[in-house]
Amino acid sequence: MLFRVDPASPVALGDQIAASVRRAIAEGTVEPGERLPAARVLADSLGVNVHTVLRGYQRLREEGLIELRRGRGAVVVEATSSRTRAGLLVRVRELVEEARRLGLTEDELVALVRTSLR
Amino acid sequence: MNRVRYRLVAVAVLPFLLALAVDLLLFAALRDRLPTRLATHFDGGGTADGYADRGSYVTVNIGLAVGLAAVWAVIAATADLAVRGARWVVGAGYAAAGLTGYVMAAALYANLDAVDGSEVRLPLWQLVAGLAVAALAAGAGALLLRLLDLPSAVPPPGPGAVERLDLAEGEVAGWARRAPSRTLCAVGVALLVVGGVLTYVYGWGRAAAPLACGLLILGCSCPYVTVDRHGLTARPTVLPWPRVRIPLADVDRAVSREVKALAEYGGWGYRVRPGRSGLILRSGEAIVVRRAGGREFAVTVADSATAAALLNTLAERAAVR
Repeated sequence: MLFRVDPASPVALGDQIAASVRRAIAEGTVEPGERLPAARVLADSLGVNVHTVLRGYQRLREEGLIELRRGRGAVVVEATSSRTRAGLLVRVRELVEEARRLGLTEDELVALVRTSLR
Repeated sequence: MNRVRYRLVAVAVLPFLLALAVDLLLFAALRDRLPTRLATHFDGGGTADGYADRGSYVTVNIGLAVGLAAVWAVIAATADLAVRGARWVVGAGYAAAGLTGYVMAAALYANLDAVDGSEVRLPLWQLVAGLAVAALAAGAGALLLRLLDLPSAVPPPGPGAVERLDLAEGEVAGWARRAPSRTLCAVGVALLVVGGVLTYVYGWGRAAAPLACGLLILGCSCPYVTVDRHGLTARPTVLPWPRVRIPLADVDRAVSREVKALAEYGGWGYRVRPGRSGLILRSGEAIVVRRAGGREFAVTVADSATAAALLNTLAERAAVR
């Protein structure tokens, strides 16, 4: 799986790492049940702090894409829906970025989403 | 199968049938002068220590020749003609046929005019003579192969298109993937099973070697391959060692290419061949790196195109700095 981080980008490094994993799961490069690189190894690869990588992994865990287990490391959740879920989350990110570019506030965006849910 | 293939199979099978024919003709001609109990097995000093009747001599001879011929027929039918090793294997068939054919005939002659076989001797130098016949047969085989007009052995396909990854200025990228090997995993598990059985039957002493080898192979059966600012690295998933690394400065260019484990590298694992080496976990796509000195290094891993593209990009970036 390809990890890309751009220190010049306004997006936090941990989030960029999370975005790389999300994209990889959505594209099917990483399959459900597959293990992500150990945080220490990935941090050394990218030349970032271990905690930065862990922050990214933590975010993915909150999104329900990976499981963090002691001893086993980070594993992509073993469900057939993982791939579509990752795809949805990628699009949610795109939605948020687009809204920011348009100058929408958080409340306005949430209100918009809520309206389309009704 | 095409015509060349049929001819190759015929040439590969020929020596065994020839050796069988010679032995059977000799047997038929000498039949009246052979004892009913033939000495067929000899110890290091050349004294007979195993016997068979005439019928089983013929059966064993036919079985041996047909069995070996079948093995070489399969090899010739499936071998990759583009690899020079295919010729060597056919040559080895001629040597094997020469050796078995000679030894069988020598045993017949040794039995000539014997009363019951127990006084028959087959000294060890007969084996040396057999090896000489084997060498001659191999030479004959090589000549026949030359007549066969096989397609010439081609070197492995040269580097294909050198891809690059679109990285922004200052953007950092890394690629990581596990490269599991079913073959190595199966070998490791098989060794552990053998070790377990040996432990059960004989105790720890005799089981130590297969158990240790099994654990080592199993530990190395699923390397982790990374491409990053350090270069191309492959190491076992669970251990930091043994590690293979090609630093960025040593990367001339990298491509993604299909490799064949058995035909190109002669097997699985860490393979060294003239001009190239590789961590060959399976047949299939691989990152093939041409190193600064011109040597090649290959790792079989999925998604190798991305890895090769990233490696090229990082290597160029490192060279500029």
